[in-house]
Amino acid sequence: MAEIKFKLNNTDVHTEKDLTMRLLDVLRDDFGLIGVKEGCGEGECGACSVLVNGEVVSSCVMPLGNASGKNIITIEGFKKTERYQILHQAYEDEGAVQCGYCTPGMILASESLLNKNPHPTEEEIRDGLSGNLCRCTGYNMIVSAVQKAAERGEGLW
Amino acid sequence: MPNISKSIPKQDTAEKTSGEALYIGDIKLDGMLHAKTLRSTETRALIKEIKIPDLPEGYHIIDYKDIPGENYVEIIFEDMPVFAEKTVNYFGEPILLIVGEDKQIILDILDSIEVKYETLEPHYKYTKSVIHYEYEKGNSDVAFVNAVRTINGEYTTGYQEHIYLEPQGVIGSYEDNKVTILGSMQCPYYIKNAVMQVLNDDGNGVRVQQATTGGAFGGKEEFPSLMACQVAVAVAKLKRPVSLIYERTEDIITSTKRHPSKIKFSAAIGPQLTVDAIKAHVSLDSGAYIGLSGVVLQRAMIAASGVYTIDNLSISGDVYETNSVPNGAFRGFGAPQMFFAIEMFMEHIAKELQQPPLEFKLRYVAEKGDATSTGGQFRDPILLKDMIHKAWDVSDYQRKTTEFSQPGSNRGIGMSLFLHGCGFTGSGEQKHIKAVVRLRKNRDDTVTVLAANTDMGQGAATTLRKITAGVLEIPIEKVIYNKPDTDLVPDSGPTVASRTIMIVGGLIARAAKELKEKWESGVEILVEERYKQPDFIKWDEETLHGDAYPAYSWGVVICEVEVDPVTFRVDLKDLWSIYDIGKAIDERIVIGQVEGGLLQGIAYGMMEVMDCKEGIIQQKNVTDYIIPTAADSINMYTYIMDNPYPLGPYGAKGAGELPLVGGAPAVAMAIENAISKKITKIPVTPEYIMELMKNG
Amino acid sequence: MVNSYIPETYKQALELLADNNLTILAGGTDLMVKTRKWSGLAPGFKGDMLFVSQLKELDFIRREDGKIYIGATTTLEKLLHDKNTPELLKMAITQMASPGIRHTATLAGNIGNASPAGDSLPVLYILNAKIVLESIETERILSIEDFILGPGSKDMKNQEMIREIIIDDVEFDFVMYEKAGGRKSDAISKVSFAGAFTFSFGMVHDMRIAFGAVGPTIIRIKEYESRFKETQIRDLVQMSDNIKGLYNPGIQPINDQRSTAEYRKTCALNILGKFLSEAETSIKKGDKH
Repeated sequence: MAEIKFKLNNTDVHTEKDLTMRLLDVLRDDFGLIGVKEGCGEGECGACSVLVNGEVVSSCVMPLGNASGKNIITIEGFKKTERYQILHQAYEDEGAVQCGYCTPGMILASESLLNKNPHPTEEEIRDGLSGNLCRCTGYNMIVSAVQKAAERGEGLW
Repeated sequence: MPNISKSIPKQDTAEKTSGEALYIGDIKLDGMLHAKTLRSTETRALIKEIKIPDLPEGYHIIDYKDIPGENYVEIIFEDMPVFAEKTVNYFGEPILLIVGEDKQIILDILDSIEVKYETLEPHYKYTKSVIHYEYEKGNSDVAFVNAVRTINGEYTTGYQEHIYLEPQGVIGSYEDNKVTILGSMQCPYYIKNAVMQVLNDDGNGVRVQQATTGGAFGGKEEFPSLMACQVAVAVAKLKRPVSLIYERTEDIITSTKRHPSKIKFSAAIGPQLTVDAIKAHVSLDSGAYIGLSGVVLQRAMIAASGVYTIDNLSISGDVYETNSVPNGAFRGFGAPQMFFAIEMFMEHIAKELQQPPLEFKLRYVAEKGDATSTGGQFRDPILLKDMIHKAWDVSDYQRKTTEFSQPGSNRGIGMSLFLHGCGFTGSGEQKHIKAVVRLRKNRDDTVTVLAANTDMGQGAATTLRKITAGVLEIPIEKVIYNKPDTDLVPDSGPTVASRTIMIVGGLIARAAKELKEKWESGVEILVEERYKQPDFIKWDEETLHGDAYPAYSWGVVICEVEVDPVTFRVDLKDLWSIYDIGKAIDERIVIGQVEGGLLQGIAYGMMEVMDCKEGIIQQKNVTDYIIPTAADSINMYTYIMDNPYPLGPYGAKGAGELPLVGGAPAVAMAIENAISKKITKIPVTPEYIMELMKNG
Repeated sequence: MVNSYIPETYKQALELLADNNLTILAGGTDLMVKTRKWSGLAPGFKGDMLFVSQLKELDFIRREDGKIYIGATTTLEKLLHDKNTPELLKMAITQMASPGIRHTATLAGNIGNASPAGDSLPVLYILNAKIVLESIETERILSIEDFILGPGSKDMKNQEMIREIIIDDVEFDFVMYEKAGGRKSDAISKVSFAGAFTFSFGMVHDMRIAFGAVGPTIIRIKEYESRFKETQIRDLVQMSDNIKGLYNPGIQPINDQRSTAEYRKTCALNILGKFLSEAETSIKKGDKH
């Protein structure tokens, strides 16, 4: 049985699970990280977003084998960071959270975007979040939240 | 509370941003079994035989034979079976559950079950009417006789699927002779009543709890009752927890959707080129079972004259049964269909009579004191004309209308005018719901709100607490609201029909007033309020006559678009909207509802395509059923009017559904003006635009 | 449970392919959807798997002697930000899927999927893409139109894997990429188009046109392209109807849950017209694309 090793929320982990398993299922069922959600199972909605080496990826279409040697961060890991605090506060202040199901994924997509582009334009924010569907908010408050986070987090990204 | 509208942080933001909030898919109970539904592969057939292989130990089939009570799901029209018995009436109809521990084994069992059908003749068109309503206002026959001309219009609207980000799910468990249902839901008591019926229980053996709910929009109003009944039967039989959570494709194909409609109008035009009468017929496709369709039809019919005062109306409607997925509640509940139709029809009448549309419509816009479509009365101030002028101003409507009508312009601007009757239609609140709320002052001087209304993202947990804290004049931190549990809260009615703030919040405000008077520190006090219909509301359910709603909220949306002449794609350029919802209990929450609802309405009008071909939904996943992404949305300019309604808490009326209602007509009108071709159906897809451009 | 191999080197990968009947798994964004089962269960792959995205040797993009070489495991995201990626390809990638998908999806994967709606394909066709297929014993270089045989079907043997893609390195005078999807982002093409011009002395020197999602494979007809060599730039728009008339019969789209045949055809020809008129306009303005 093949074993792979990777970093999960800053901890070294290893697993002997079937390497074709969806990373989503391994994270939720084996590591108890239920902040990673299933919304569609097709890689379309982004509710299953995780960060892989800092970039947002849909974990429902990522096979476990591709996690080998990578640094995987879920919302459970990210929430311990200062960047998360800025994003969380901005989301709260702008009213960007309604039912919350898209929210962990949306926060990680925001981080992925700001990580590459600390001062995005509105269009770049909309494009950066285009892989994360939200049915409740109409997106504008989320876009404002990311703008606010970028301003307040000067120097962090 | 000095200014109730001032926004405060919501109660549940932190647990949602951190991923700690538990949705039904996150919950695992000890010894929990999984359930998977075996579904019909026919659109209409007799079930001749079901061959089930020998089941391994620990795996069970749950079907209609296991139901202690009657095999139907309690909802307004009780025709939907919990499990199909002798016939199936739609593709995907549930026949039985396979329950067990290992998912792979469940799937293997599913694959090895053979169902023998005898196909029956299905019907898919608007042919089989199962509900018919009609009402009259004034005397439209005379008006048509005296008319100088008649103008007709026919309008079609398609399906809309909710695509709440969290798919449907319930978990049932069993303890001490009690079946508990935990799930993603809007209406705990709807579910409790349905489960009591299937289990033949007097109420003491059934408990329903809401889990954090990841979006609903009406899709979790009645549909979860079906799943809950199935799971309850399984749990009662097996006495072990059972989880039934849908996959997205299963959810899209088999759960309720917005009713497709066809609406036919005829207007009698008088000698002064006035609209003297309107005749209309509304057809709704209910799918295989009627469920709530009669109420959707009523709301659509009642909205037949839109925001306009038309003296003579002759309105009829039918619900048609077809062998396709049953349709049900979706934000707006018949109004989005009708407001698309009536707004386009008035626009088309104006254009036919060669009158500037906005000026034309303004002549008919209702005013306080006018009779409503059903002969009730608009008793409260109507700010619509002010709202129209404001919208007209901020959007530069006049200049743009002129500029965009120049030949060669691909741009268009459209304005929709709409209302939404707040609360249940007619006497539903009085006769069926009979809402009860309680407030319990605790010994530590905190106050717990005891109501069955659910927060599904729209912020009820925050707004209901705000009302309580405001009236009691205590800090909001002292007010507690927990996710409803039918063992702990009374039946304050479902979280639907834009009633949560106005009706339930109203009861809570009254209870809080009473509690304030009785307040005593360090002591536990319980107060209760029951709904009483205001005396002036008179409604005849048979003739559909009188006050259909106690109050109305109003809206204006202006949409600006650009149509690409190469691909016929529509680019949203700008969106302005203005709403009278009485009073905003929390401004940011209201704007969140507005932006989300408006985008849903716009997408209903131009982007969301769902076809049903021979009874089978063609767009089965989120790849093919397209909803907007952040890249498709644009900044919206939103204005909230202040027009306190005397019977609403702090003057609040209903706000949840109104914003969706105005979206489709505004975008359809903008596109019509951009391409100078008459639009009579939604969604206005590039394919439809191309057809219109080619064929004139 | 199927066996999964995660070789460290490319040579190991080829050896494994030679000895076993393996399914190649790159980013997974297509295959993981196609094979998915109930949540919590492993996808329904029928045989053993070869993971390739970790092969660093295949993660490259470089320019050499008039060609650009793109390794099979290079992600779309990397291509989007690399200075060696042709502008036309970047235009296509920008409109592909979503950021999350672009972070793991590969060009080789998009090609291997052989979907007529593959967004990158029209660009690759007009850049005369060659697919380098390697096994432990053989190397084959196929032009992309010979590699892709039909929807979901390709000329690839069991022991082979895509090593790299070779495309023309040309500085065009005008390029255009257009995609009509159901929404602005994250949408499957109803119609896609890539076109490029090189001009010389006011005349067409090289014209390349390819359509996607309007037939079982990408439609590029080189014979038509050569007919318009030496057309005056100023005559391009006048020739528009001619050119559209030529391509019309070859465009054979279908009706499906995403769109209609008539829309796809009309759109495709409209986009062609736009390509010609924008090319003429841009040259007149002195823009160089």
